[in-house]
Amino acid sequence: MINTVDTLPAFPWLSLMVFLPLSGALLCLLHTRSERDCRWLGLTVAVATFGIAIWLFLSQQPNASGWFCVEDIEWIGRFSIRYNLAMDGIALVMVLLTTFLQIVSMLLAWPVRRHVGLFFALLLILESGLLGIFLAQDLILFYLFWEVALIPMFFLIGIWGHNRRHEAALKFFLYTLAGSLFMLLAIIGLYVIHGDQTGHYSFLISDLARTELTLRQEYLLFGGFLAAFAIKSPLVPFHTWLPDALSEAPAVGSLDLTGLLIKTGVYGLIRIAFPLFPNATSECLPIFGTFALVALFHAGWCAYHQDDIKRLLAYSSISHLGLVVLGLAAWTFTAWQGSLLLMVSHGITTGALLAMVAMIRQRIATRNLQKLSGLWAQAPCLSALFLLFALASLGLPGLANFSGEILVLIGTFQTRPIWAIMGIAGVVFAAAYMLRLIQRVLWGEPTQAEVADLSPREWLILIPLAILTVWLGIYPATFLKPLETPVLLALGGLP
Amino acid sequence: MNETLLFLIPLLPLVCALLNMVFGMRLPRLFTETLAVTGVAGSCALTLLFWDYATEGGTKAVLFNWLDSGTFQIAFALNFDRLAAPMTLMVTGVATFIHLYAVGYMHKDADYGRFFGLLNLFVFAMLTIILADNLLVLFLGWEGVGLCSYALIGFWYQKDQNTRAGTKAFLVTRSGDVFLGIALLWLFALTGTLTISEINALAQTISPGVVIALTLLLLVGACGKSAQLPLMTWLADAMAGPTPVSALIHAATMVTAGVYLLCRLFPLISLSAVGMTAITAVGALTALYAATCALAQQEIKRVLAYSTMSQIGYMFMAIGAGTVTGAMFHLLTHAFFKAALFMAAGAVIHLAGDENDLFKMGGIGRRGPQELFWVFLASAACLAGIPLTGGFFSKDGILLAVFSHPDPLYEFFWLIGMLTALLTSFYTFRLVYLIFAGRSRGRNQPHAVSRLMRWPIWPLTILGLAAGLINLPAFFGGQEWLHHWYGKLAGQTLTPDHHTEWLLMIITSSLVLIGWAVAHFYYRNVEKPRLNWLAIFLLQGWRTDRLIEQLLIRPFEAMARFCALGCDRVLLDGTLDGSAGLAKSWGVLARRLVTGRLSTYLSAFAWGFLIFIGWFLLRLLK
Amino acid sequence: MIVPIGHVLACSAALFAIGLTCAVIRRQIIMILIGVEIMLNAAALAFVGGSAFWQQVDGQVFVVFLMAITAAEVAVALAMVVYLHQRKRTMIADEFNRMSG
Repeated sequence: MINTVDTLPAFPWLSLMVFLPLSGALLCLLHTRSERDCRWLGLTVAVATFGIAIWLFLSQQPNASGWFCVEDIEWIGRFSIRYNLAMDGIALVMVLLTTFLQIVSMLLAWPVRRHVGLFFALLLILESGLLGIFLAQDLILFYLFWEVALIPMFFLIGIWGHNRRHEAALKFFLYTLAGSLFMLLAIIGLYVIHGDQTGHYSFLISDLARTELTLRQEYLLFGGFLAAFAIKSPLVPFHTWLPDALSEAPAVGSLDLTGLLIKTGVYGLIRIAFPLFPNATSECLPIFGTFALVALFHAGWCAYHQDDIKRLLAYSSISHLGLVVLGLAAWTFTAWQGSLLLMVSHGITTGALLAMVAMIRQRIATRNLQKLSGLWAQAPCLSALFLLFALASLGLPGLANFSGEILVLIGTFQTRPIWAIMGIAGVVFAAAYMLRLIQRVLWGEPTQAEVADLSPREWLILIPLAILTVWLGIYPATFLKPLETPVLLALGGLP
Repeated sequence: MNETLLFLIPLLPLVCALLNMVFGMRLPRLFTETLAVTGVAGSCALTLLFWDYATEGGTKAVLFNWLDSGTFQIAFALNFDRLAAPMTLMVTGVATFIHLYAVGYMHKDADYGRFFGLLNLFVFAMLTIILADNLLVLFLGWEGVGLCSYALIGFWYQKDQNTRAGTKAFLVTRSGDVFLGIALLWLFALTGTLTISEINALAQTISPGVVIALTLLLLVGACGKSAQLPLMTWLADAMAGPTPVSALIHAATMVTAGVYLLCRLFPLISLSAVGMTAITAVGALTALYAATCALAQQEIKRVLAYSTMSQIGYMFMAIGAGTVTGAMFHLLTHAFFKAALFMAAGAVIHLAGDENDLFKMGGIGRRGPQELFWVFLASAACLAGIPLTGGFFSKDGILLAVFSHPDPLYEFFWLIGMLTALLTSFYTFRLVYLIFAGRSRGRNQPHAVSRLMRWPIWPLTILGLAAGLINLPAFFGGQEWLHHWYGKLAGQTLTPDHHTEWLLMIITSSLVLIGWAVAHFYYRNVEKPRLNWLAIFLLQGWRTDRLIEQLLIRPFEAMARFCALGCDRVLLDGTLDGSAGLAKSWGVLARRLVTGRLSTYLSAFAWGFLIFIGWFLLRLLK
Repeated sequence: MIVPIGHVLACSAALFAIGLTCAVIRRQIIMILIGVEIMLNAAALAFVGGSAFWQQVDGQVFVVFLMAITAAEVAVALAMVVYLHQRKRTMIADEFNRMSG
């Protein structure tokens, strides 16, 4: 379906978007002397990348099969590996989220003092990797970007993290690497089977989707992909790396981790695992749904018990991702749109909360809920925005997460009413832990002496996030529109 | 005129709220206050201006599509119809007076921007509920109301108790919202729409069993917001907020949202007799429960809170008995006199020197303006249902509807309603006596009560007294204006014979008078509360808080601990750490082989070689 | 071929065994090296024997290579021995166990 493209842009915008951050990273590494230059370089590159994404969003029209733009050239001919980047609505939304959050990350990384050049270079490499993941249509290329995105995060946690950073970085790295090795195995297995069958060897997803597989083969290969995606998402019970990694990562690292990196797992499910193995998928959907519900409740409960704000937010992310997967497992148009929208809004709201945690930590030097109190009395603007994002995160109508949640629930109810009912009950859990968070952080007698309110840089970070939070809550059509065709296509292949 | 202008009614308070929240503290105080009052008053004026839109089946206005996904199409749409119009007018009108009162009440509070912003936002959310054309927009307002009550109850956030009360209110109402949410999902799955009028039109096509389930779900949802059994525990604690907030949220408007929801979906819920009986039962039991609790309360605002709960129980009974008019009529009268009562109570608390405890009041009338006593007494008379006041007519209408219901079970509910009327009269006059009778028992210095805190009470009191006129029964020569106004939406029409009506009225009136007499006898001169076990039991609201803590909160927290520690820390992380440890210990074992001695390596090599050769030789031999 | 191939191979095997034993048992580095040399020579002997038996020149070519390698190895090894001796003042191989895991 990729070959039938009629609107090929003459200029390789996608490649430019993917490799612009990488070249920026190289410049940062070469030019580590001046910290100031590195910061501005990082920010400029991030803004430019975002600009390209916005430009593509506004200027390109999708063709009949939903692709905005495609680039396809031969890369390693011997193994028929192609350099194939393509963007449809789902990828577009993820790309917009990524490029936008990267600008936020750059601004948030401003106060970093140690190895500034390296820090910004790693952030930019990470951005390249993430964009590659969302755009690659060739499995080897995808795998390459998948690992490229992993490595900078390892260093970000390992070098700039908190006290137990080495342990957390190692856990994160080994866990996700173990998963992705299974995926590599499955990729090669599928490649060989497909090649034997058709005589035409290819790593392209669209080609491989046409492979005739026995159910047993499907299950094995599906399991391989699932290992990578379930760990990255992270689905319960493979989730324990996230709270550790998040609580030890520096502010920017945790923002990128929850805002973007864990989305790649779900994206992989949607883009690769589901279309390649339709039979295994339809057999496994009830299991997915069950695990998603378990995640929703289990993580909700865990979040309620945490004292470290970052761990709380990590568990809340796992819980939200549970709802996302629930929507996918329901396999209806509305639920899928809701899931994808929820991914975006979760990225925005939780990202904003994590950014604010970093700001609070800069002021009070603690993230412990037992030690925080009465922030509102001292920093009302900061507190008001914190409240806004926390309320969005607990699913208040009119703010970001609600739009996604209600679509997921409405869509899920159409096929699996019981799941939807349990899902809506799980949403109360979000209220329980979020209200506990607000109660401890904002209300009460202030315990600390003087706390400054927001600085201009912090305003600059938070205002766009706040605007997006409201926008997603009130007019999500901007993001739902591009999702229509690809979601319909994705669902069309299955009963 | 363009019907999209209807959006101005809710948006005006919203805009003022946002302005006050964002710029409130940078603007002069007077400006903020004026803005807040103007927002609500303007919206009230607009309601009157647009009144004609409500006639002839109402007017719909669509702003833009909110959610748009396949068959799921939800627009920001308003429906200004005959049910919504009086309610809108009441909310905006009462809220205007409360805002004025709040200007006086909060004049020393430094955080005025946040306060008035939230107050306006609250009015916006309530108007959204009232005017919503579809259930999702209604849900937006529904949750918005929950949020505002949360933030306003915990307005004085430095005291932990206040914010805890707010959190409790939010969580309890949100648990009710889960059921409303389920009903919403189910209704969409059944009818393919969330537009209220379409759902009501399609209600006949839904199978009876499902309608029962839906009604029960909606009932629980309504119970959460309206503080009915079993989700009532939050309301009494919610009195931690500033008094104008109590007046606005917990008397006049927010708690009536549940009643309004059931009225909105009346064509649906009236299809299920079981559901209607359940609604009446919940209403009757709550009315009685709350009235008993109010008997023993020692704080002025808690008495009023329980009385609210009890009166809303009456409204539920009305809906269950099939008369939307009865419910809405009581809702309107109750809103007037309860708001007046709360505002007067705020003034009383000021005069008592910020003292909430009834047993430290007494003789308050002598400390401040005499008029306070009269407005309080008048509103209390409405609450107690003294004949010819507004509260009397509306309550009587409900009891009549319940009494004339054909189902014999309703006679039992009617008895409960009568008993509650007796108790209501008793605790209301107990309140009046404890506040105004005798000599002063408190020691605090009174604060002055400003004019802004006094005169907004007057119009509300008068409205409360005269509210009977809006639905004066034919028996008194009235036209039942409200009933005719609602038209098709009004539920069943009551045509009792005069004999029954006389009888009922005499019974209720005598019960009210008995209640007064008993209160007069006991509380004319009281120094200290008499605390026996029953009083303590009632004071603690039948110990429901304890029960809920034992039954729900403790297990929830235990489960949280189990999930976080038992499951994640021990089981999952343990497995991971265990496998990592296993790999490590293998490494240690294997390391022993590497001695660093050449000769060991060489001999191992030689032995290996020999074994290899030997194996090949054996293969050859075979 | 005058000498039967079996004898040549037996002799080579014996030499190899002697060399191996020497390399394994002796503790002096020099003696270990001599053991290694003997094993190499045993291999060379087997090559020559094979070359004579099959009338193929390859074996002899290989022996020439082997001699070159042996020479190189001895040169490097002896240099290392001298270096090691300077470092630890001993020639006992077991003393150099820094590579122990």
